[in-house]
Amino acid sequence: MNMVRLDKQKLNDFIRELSAEYSVYAPGKTNGKTEFIPVESSDEIDFNSHVTDMFPKGIFFPPAEVLFEYDEDGVREAQTSHRPIAVWGMRSCDARSLVMLDRVFGSAIQMPDNKNFQDPYWKEKYDNSLIFGIACNEPLSTCFCNWLGGGPHNRDGMDVFVVDAGDVYLMEPLSDKGIEIINSSSCLTNATGKDEALAVKLASDAESMMTAPLDTGGLGEKLTAIYDEPIWSEISAKCVNCGACTFSCPTCHCFDVQDEGKGKKGKRVRIWDSCMFPIFTMEASGHNPRALSSERVRQRIMHKYSYYPENYGENLCTGCGRCVMVCPVNLDIREVLKRIIAYKEQVI
Amino acid sequence: MANPYIPLQMKVQRIETEDPDRTLRTYDLTFLNESEKEAFRYLPGQFCEISILGKGESPFGIASSPTEPDYLRFTVNRTGSVTNDIHYLRNGDIVGMRGPLGNWYPVEDMKGMNVLIVGGGFAFTTLRSLLIYLLDSRDDYMDITVIYGARNPDLFIYKDEIATWKQRDDIQFHVTIDKLVDGWTEKTGFVPTVTQEVAPSPDNTMAIVCGPPIMIKYTLPVLTELGFPDERIYTSLERRMKCGIGKCGRCNIGSKYICIDGPVFSMAELKKIPETV
Repeated sequence: MNMVRLDKQKLNDFIRELSAEYSVYAPGKTNGKTEFIPVESSDEIDFNSHVTDMFPKGIFFPPAEVLFEYDEDGVREAQTSHRPIAVWGMRSCDARSLVMLDRVFGSAIQMPDNKNFQDPYWKEKYDNSLIFGIACNEPLSTCFCNWLGGGPHNRDGMDVFVVDAGDVYLMEPLSDKGIEIINSSSCLTNATGKDEALAVKLASDAESMMTAPLDTGGLGEKLTAIYDEPIWSEISAKCVNCGACTFSCPTCHCFDVQDEGKGKKGKRVRIWDSCMFPIFTMEASGHNPRALSSERVRQRIMHKYSYYPENYGENLCTGCGRCVMVCPVNLDIREVLKRIIAYKEQVI
Repeated sequence: MANPYIPLQMKVQRIETEDPDRTLRTYDLTFLNESEKEAFRYLPGQFCEISILGKGESPFGIASSPTEPDYLRFTVNRTGSVTNDIHYLRNGDIVGMRGPLGNWYPVEDMKGMNVLIVGGGFAFTTLRSLLIYLLDSRDDYMDITVIYGARNPDLFIYKDEIATWKQRDDIQFHVTIDKLVDGWTEKTGFVPTVTQEVAPSPDNTMAIVCGPPIMIKYTLPVLTELGFPDERIYTSLERRMKCGIGKCGRCNIGSKYICIDGPVFSMAELKKIPETV
C-alpha cells in the first residue's frame, strides 16, 4: 500500500481514534527522562525525544511483572487480559529489539517431548500490539544501527512506518493490522508523489549521517575463537559491573523470579536481572561459574554477538547506543567490537 | 496455551532422611488429581521446579522412574533458602511443582547396548531413575555396570536399594568412598580412579555420568582413555536456574541453555561449547 499523510494538527484526532480500541503509548517525559508513557492526547507526547532514555521494552516485558498470586487456597493466575497496546513513535532500533525478544518469549521452543514453552505474558501483549515506528532523520553520534543490519529508516517490527516530513507525518502501513487501521481512519489523506520523494530523500540523508559501519559478519565465530584469550580481562578492566548497560538495553531479557508477600499470601514476580552481577549465576553451594568480572563481561558480549546469533541467525543488539550513553566508565561497545575484530587478526 | 509458570499442587506422601546429619532428604510427592497425574509423562534425566510459595523455586532431578507411577521422588540437599524450607515439610503438606522440564538420558538408543552408570554423591537421583527404568525392562539392555562414589559411607543415598542392587547378578554395582574408614570393605578412592580400575569395556557401551562438577571433569577423560567415543558419553549438568523454560537467560553454557537444551548433553555436544564443565 502507498503512503498516506497525516497533518500534524490532526495527530490528536488520530491518537483519539486509536484510543477507542487501544491503550496508546508514546514518548513522554517523567522526572526529566524520556520514556514511553500511556497517552490520551498528543499534548502529552514529547516530540524532542530521539532515542528515548528508556526503551519501550517495558510495555511488553515490565521491569516487575506478576506471574501469579497465591494464598492458602493455592495459586491464581495473574490477570492477563489487557486492552491491546498501540505504540506511537517507536524508533527503528526499538521496533527491531521487540522482534528479537519475540524469538525468545513468543516463539515456540520445541522440546523433545513436544512441549513448547511460550511466554503467555509477553504474547498476550506483543501479539495484539500495533506499532507505529518513527524514522530517524537525524541519527545521534551514539547510533550504530547500520552496523547490525538496521538503519535510521528501517521498517522491521513495525505495523506502520512513519516519517516526520515537517508539517505532516507520512505513513506507510506494513502489516494487515497496519493497513486496517489506516483504512479505517478519517484523519488521513493520500500522499503525493512529492511526499514519497521527500521520504526517500530523508532516508538517504539520514543514512549519510551515520558513521561508517563496521563489518560484523563472522563476529560470532571470531568471538568463539578468542574465548580463552586474555583480551577479556583487558576489556573488562575498567568495568564496575554496575549493570547500567543491561538495564538500558532494549534486547536484554534476563529476569529473576521472586516471591513477594507475607506468610501464605503473596505474589510470584519476575524482575529484570543482569548478567553483570555475581549473584546472577551464584549457586547455593557457593560455586559460581562466572565469578570474575571478565567472565561476566565476556558472557554479555558472547550472548549478544555469538550465542543468540547461533540460535536465531541475528545479533542480539540493535545499535541503539543507550549502553554507550549510560556507561559510567565509558566502556563503549563499539570500541569493544572493533578491538575484538582487530585482536583476532593478531591471534589467528 | 498452558501457562508454563504456574506450578501444580502436589502432596508430600513420604519423607525419608538419607544421612545421619539429616542434610539429605527424599520426598515422594503425589498428584492431587488423576488427570494431572495422567498428563505427567517423563523419562529418566528430566527435572522439575519445586516451589515453596513465599520462598521460591529450585530445580531438582526426578529420582523416581516413569515405571513407578504412584509418586514423583526427589532428594533434596539442604543448602539454600528454598531447600531449607523443603526440609521443614511434613507429610501431607502441599508444594508446587512445574515439570517435567529438560531432556533425558538416551534410553531408546541404549536398547541392545551395555550401560555404564557413573555417579557421585547426592547427584545419584536421576541415575536412580535411569537404573530403575533399565531394570524394569531388563531384557532390552545388555550388561549394566554402576560405579557410585561418596565422600563417606553415610553420604550414599538410597542405601537400602544399593544393598539389593548389589545382590542382583544382573548388575555389577561398585561403591567407593574417598578415604578408608573402619569397617568399610568396598572400594576406596575417587570415582575417576575407581572407573580406571574397573575399566568397563567401551564395546557397544553407553556411559552416563552424573555427579559434582569436579567428578565429571576428571571422569570424562578416563572414559575417553578407556576408548569411549564422545557420542556414547553422556552427562547431566547443572547451573543456577530460574524459569526452567529458556527465557530468563541464566543457565546457559555457551549458546545452550541447561533447562531446554539439556540438562543431558553428550561429550560430542559439550566439545562444541566454549564454556564447559
